[in-house]
Amino acid sequence: MMTFIPPRLRKPTGVAVAGALFAAAWLVRGGPLWWVSILAVIAAAVRAISLYRAGGKDTDEGALAGSRADERQQLLSLRSRALACNLAVAAAFIGLTAAIAVNAAWWWPFAVILAVAGFGYLLGLSTYGVAEEGAADDASAGHEARSAAS
Amino acid sequence: MKNRVREQRTQQGLSQAELAAALGVSRQTVISIESGRYLPSLPLAFAIARFFDLTVDKMFDPEDEEAVR
Repeated sequence: MMTFIPPRLRKPTGVAVAGALFAAAWLVRGGPLWWVSILAVIAAAVRAISLYRAGGKDTDEGALAGSRADERQQLLSLRSRALACNLAVAAAFIGLTAAIAVNAAWWWPFAVILAVAGFGYLLGLSTYGVAEEGAADDASAGHEARSAAS
Repeated sequence: MKNRVREQRTQQGLSQAELAAALGVSRQTVISIESGRYLPSLPLAFAIARFFDLTVDKMFDPEDEEAVR
């Protein structure tokens, strides 16, 4: 989807777009806190620039920021994201449990996070082929071999 | 798992950066493979072995079977 963007600009562009959307949400909301949108734009710009600068460094972080990671760096990123997801799920579970215990009305965002994480996990199992089970060809080969011998 | 990447690279007078460029990986990955902290994928293991004109089993020695999972 982002292949038309040079690799070093991909992550900074994503951050800039996310920051612009967040700022737009504050502007649409209106009210006395409209100025938060300016802070959001500034924060996103600073983060995008720092990502772009990091993308030029000869480090693992630089390779990830510059979208030019090799297999080990991709694995590093994958493990880090899995850890982040596990921590988010644990935090959501704690939040949901606490919300239920105090009979709060804000329990549902935690339930949504848990549901989305569970759906994502099942989608991952389905997408990456866990369900693709074929017949064990060694069993049939062994049967044919025995048949031929007898 | 032991490997002979560092030995072969120094024998050929290559730097880690030069080997990394030849293999299409980062210098940090070559360092990790040489130190045994990272086990390369099968395609990369073959690429390394071919680069040094060796077979994979000559390049990588599974002396520690516990490490092979």
